Amino acid sequence: MSDNILRLPAEAKYADELNFLATVDRGQRPANWRLTPRMVRIFVLGSTPADKLAYPIAQKWFGDPAIIERAIVTLASDRGLLLIGDPGTGKSWLAELLAAAICGNSTYVVQGTAGTTEDQIKYSWNVALVIAAGQSLNSLIPSPIMTAMQQGAMGRFEELTRCTSDVQDALISIMSEKYVSIPELKEDNTIFARSGFNLIATANSRDRGVNDLSSALKRRFNFVHIPIVTNKKQEREIILFRTQELLQRQSFSVNVPPTLLDVLLQTFADLREVSNAATSEDTRLESALSTAEQIGVLEDAVLYSNYFGESHLTARLVARSLVGTLVRRLPEDIAVMSKFWNSVVAKRSEEQQGDWQEFLVGGQEAMRTIQK
Amino acid sequence: MTDTETLSLLDEQLLSAAQAFAEDASSLSNLLTRFVQDVERAMREPLDIFPVCHHSPASALHMVRRLQTQPPKVIYMELCEDMRPLIENLRDCKLPVALQAFAAESGTLPPEALPVMVVAPLTEASAEYQAIAYCLTHPETELVFVDRAVDYIFQWDDDWKRDLEQLEAEDEIGERENAGLHGTAVGVTIGELMPTFDEFLHFLLRNSNTRYFAEWWDQYVERTIINADYPTYKQVMVLVGSLLRHLGRRAEDTQVDLLRERYMWTRIKQHMHQHAIQPNEAMYVCGAAHVGSEAEEFGTSSSVIWDLPTYTDTRWLYGLIPSSFAAIERQFSHPAGTVSLAESTWDKTLKAEKLKPFDLKRPDIPNHKPTLREMTRNPHVLSEFLTQAPAYSAADKEQLLQWCIQIVALARKNGYLASTADSIAIYETSMLLAHMRNRHHPTPYDFQDAAITCLEKDHTPKKRTVAHLCQILLGGDRVGTVGYASLPPLAQDIYDRLAPLEVDLFAKTNQRALMDFKTRPEQRTCSDILWKLHYLFGNLVVRPIVGERKLAHMPIQESWDILIGKHQREIIQLGYEGVTLEQVLEQRMKAMAFAEDATAAIALRTAEDALLYRISPRLVRELGLHSITLLSQETSATDAPDIFQRARRLVHYYRTQPNGLPDWLEQLIATGYAHYAAMLPQAFADTGTRPEQIAGMLGFIFTLESLALALGCQRDQLMLGLQGAAQSEITPDKLGLLWASEWLLGLRDITSMRTFLTQTINDTLRWPTLPQYLNGFVLALNFAPGMARFVVELLSHIFGSVTDSTLLMWLPSLILQLRQHQPLLQPLIKEASVLFPLTLQGFASWQAPWNKQMEVSANATAISLGIEETRHQLFTTPAVTTSIAAWLGITPQIWLTSDKSDIASLPSNTHNQEINMILQTYSESTLALADYLTNGASARG
Repeated sequence: MSDNILRLPAEAKYADELNFLATVDRGQRPANWRLTPRMVRIFVLGSTPADKLAYPIAQKWFGDPAIIERAIVTLASDRGLLLIGDPGTGKSWLAELLAAAICGNSTYVVQGTAGTTEDQIKYSWNVALVIAAGQSLNSLIPSPIMTAMQQGAMGRFEELTRCTSDVQDALISIMSEKYVSIPELKEDNTIFARSGFNLIATANSRDRGVNDLSSALKRRFNFVHIPIVTNKKQEREIILFRTQELLQRQSFSVNVPPTLLDVLLQTFADLREVSNAATSEDTRLESALSTAEQIGVLEDAVLYSNYFGESHLTARLVARSLVGTLVRRLPEDIAVMSKFWNSVVAKRSEEQQGDWQEFLVGGQEAMRTIQK
Repeated sequence: MTDTETLSLLDEQLLSAAQAFAEDASSLSNLLTRFVQDVERAMREPLDIFPVCHHSPASALHMVRRLQTQPPKVIYMELCEDMRPLIENLRDCKLPVALQAFAAESGTLPPEALPVMVVAPLTEASAEYQAIAYCLTHPETELVFVDRAVDYIFQWDDDWKRDLEQLEAEDEIGERENAGLHGTAVGVTIGELMPTFDEFLHFLLRNSNTRYFAEWWDQYVERTIINADYPTYKQVMVLVGSLLRHLGRRAEDTQVDLLRERYMWTRIKQHMHQHAIQPNEAMYVCGAAHVGSEAEEFGTSSSVIWDLPTYTDTRWLYGLIPSSFAAIERQFSHPAGTVSLAESTWDKTLKAEKLKPFDLKRPDIPNHKPTLREMTRNPHVLSEFLTQAPAYSAADKEQLLQWCIQIVALARKNGYLASTADSIAIYETSMLLAHMRNRHHPTPYDFQDAAITCLEKDHTPKKRTVAHLCQILLGGDRVGTVGYASLPPLAQDIYDRLAPLEVDLFAKTNQRALMDFKTRPEQRTCSDILWKLHYLFGNLVVRPIVGERKLAHMPIQESWDILIGKHQREIIQLGYEGVTLEQVLEQRMKAMAFAEDATAAIALRTAEDALLYRISPRLVRELGLHSITLLSQETSATDAPDIFQRARRLVHYYRTQPNGLPDWLEQLIATGYAHYAAMLPQAFADTGTRPEQIAGMLGFIFTLESLALALGCQRDQLMLGLQGAAQSEITPDKLGLLWASEWLLGLRDITSMRTFLTQTINDTLRWPTLPQYLNGFVLALNFAPGMARFVVELLSHIFGSVTDSTLLMWLPSLILQLRQHQPLLQPLIKEASVLFPLTLQGFASWQAPWNKQMEVSANATAISLGIEETRHQLFTTPAVTTSIAAWLGITPQIWLTSDKSDIASLPSNTHNQEINMILQTYSESTLALADYLTNGASARG
């Protein structure tokens, strides 16, 4: 069955690793956790020889190990975990990995939007059943979070700050009392959370101030900041790892020439620098220039080369994908990009030659096409 | 069980491990054998080798125990031997302080690197300070520094350059107060163990779940050995030292280490030989890594001695400077808080062990003599010891609880929403973190992570983040002070002379000094000192709030912010340059004035400064004379405005003095006059010379002219100069300057200038040059304030004539241009206020004074060319003229009496006007008459 699924959740994808870790895990684990915190850490950050495991565990999230440790212990404690950071820094991916490792199910997710209602956090009713048989636990539709409570699992709340404040505050009682009461029912009207339940929420730091969390909710969450990756070596690892993974869905593996990857990384680093130096919104690209964008560019280029190109990745294609991905507003973005291309990229192409030359031409072509 | 048996067991265990993990076990087993051999050798050595690690409380504690139980006769220590005399001065210092070596003169070091500094900071929680304090309070024990002298640091390798570059590149100082206390100095420390081989360090940290080497050390070594017995301490330290030496150091570092070890052992053996010391009477304190040395000189049993290399010609000076924990951490790239943590562990363990450390402040001998742990020790195997986790006392748990409570209070004070619930969460989280990181008890690092997790939300409410608060809680920074007696003579002199201010000069905070010279005239000397310091350091060390220093200015009150306590290092380093502040100032001023690239303006500035700060008349004269030499050699007028202003100021000042102008200033004026006069033609012709510079030159010439002429200069020089200048092509912006000078000398009148400028204004095509002309005339006010009336006229004329659209475009640049010459604008505004009516009504009947003049002269001169000729004819034929006059009914007067040559200059009197009027009215007859007269005259001729 799993062959037909576009994207497997982490617990299914890494089922082997999780099962293996569970079998070798001898330590004391928090109630209802499938693994000890130490094993969760190994699952996310990969194993080292010092862990003395018979089967090596791959690294799935790249960054400061202290962030992972703090996230894991938060989940073992009484407080919820709020991952906060710029878009594309891997918050949701980390949340999924943590949920998969801790409770073996990362799918109890509520997606926060401006239209999310309290029903989607707590419960709603199956209207037909209510009409037929009246209000009872049978006709109740529990939200993913309520299900997580019942199961003693990790509930996930994506983009918490996109929801309006009153909806956010529905979480307060769930987080402190750890039960949901159903006033519509006469008896049996409280659903208690089983031990092991906790919440992993993510929030976008760019949205800060849109719907700020209330102080009451803030103190029920531990905030863990996920920084933008600026370390080139780490960024390279992340891009390769994620691109390979995404392209496996298309069932072909990809071979990215290291020099080409360097060109891409350098271009993004330069773009970030230019963006930081820009003084107004009009002279800055709309994109956040995160690692996720780079993955997007690379994936796009690989797909194009496979289906329409010469089945190998060229600098020209990467440049085209890059321009196509990053230029969103017309004409502002194209002006910014063109200025960048003809100064920074042209200079690099002159100095370093190689892939840069083709990269320069590819980008210029793409910009001409867009402008037409 | 003996030590040898203990070690053989360890040896076996290590070898079996090597076979189990490595495919090619021989190289690994060699290495492992080497570790054990190092330990064996160190234990066998009759000279007690005491291995230490930098800022390790465990080393310090073992040192205290060791010295209290078995005081040695001599302590050899791994510190630069030439710094030894400094420690005598430690008595009145508050730690942390640093021993400093300073060199500003060297024939071998690259000049751009000078001055170079070396610092060796000392903190209380260190083995070296305990040993130093012991030796200073127990004269029967001698302390000998045996490491290479600072000179060799710069001889043996270029690492110091890299260190300095790194320090300069770091921007952390800005974030952390007091981190810059060492300046850019090369740091030396005893017991440096930090791995320099990056891959090793990375591997070590990744496998131990730690972030920094300091954390690893604290977690895996420090806590284990702090309560161990002395032999175990020694064995573990040597073992770890050996591991780090053989695996963790880069090859080039090991090379330098080897040289140092050879040096140290040579020095030890030389000293032992000279003073007949037996190995078992002495103790050698060195970094744990040095015990694994491959040097041939190693050990008292080896008789090999190194023929020591010689010093370079670098001149080293020594002193003590204040240090701080933050500065030490920055110097040796430790993570923030390392030294504070070491200090708090030291305090905690001292309390728990009921030990009294050695202290220079209270050199009392402890009441009870602790026994060396060896006596009560349970014989257990080293390998077993190494696999045990360190024991934790109730004090540790208590401490953690305290931290959890205190951090919440501190966070609340800093604007965080924190409550008791957070204390509980932090405690729980730190326990969980420690458990996950495979630790029995949370370390301060775990606690810090837990506090950040539980307290830090999406933004920092005030200035400090939770991480910062944790550092404050865990000890914070401490800044040392160098006591009065340890200061160099210059610094002591400054402190003495500032005593009348009655402020605490050792305080680290800002001290405000208020001086009223009427009631306390003795404070005038303090003011002098403060101004001199201000001259040397700008606003860094002292900062004037009220008060200024100008020539001939006698202040009544001054108030200052004094930060001498905070910037003690700067004051101490001045001491390397001289014995008194005045001497340093004199040296600096001379260096500035006599530098290769010095100009006359710089030399004159230093002369003025020397006068201003009352250094000595002799110095002022010397600098002044030098400025004359420089001035006569100068070929450009770049500094002319500056020199003019200064010379004028100095002349004004000296005129008020009883002795009048000094000889050097007179010479300067005379030289300047002749020099600038001679340069005028070139300056006017050269497009690179700006009008401001020429204005400066002319200012010098005209303002100081009377003085210069009195000193024997000739006005001809100036006349010649101006004539030469007039011959070249003058650009519009310089024309005003030239004409104003000519006007001053009576070579040009206002009318001609007016005529020319009126023509320019009337010619639209020449409008773009108008601002330049204007600029020249405005600059001329510098030396010709009498031109102000004309400049006002010119401005009004331009504003009246030029169209608004053109004028509007000029205005911004015109305003900016005029703003540059603010002092010049004063006469201009004054003149304008006289010329223009003061009220709005006044304008109704107002007529510009220059317009009136022009009307008169227009009447006088409005004669066409033909009429002029007729006039001429009339004068040359007086008979005809007389008859015409008779016919017209005018009595002949003037033309009969005047001389022909004076015709042109005839005053325009009323008669003339009448004739003119008649001739003009009957112009046709006049022309016919003229024709007749001319032809008749020629026919007759």
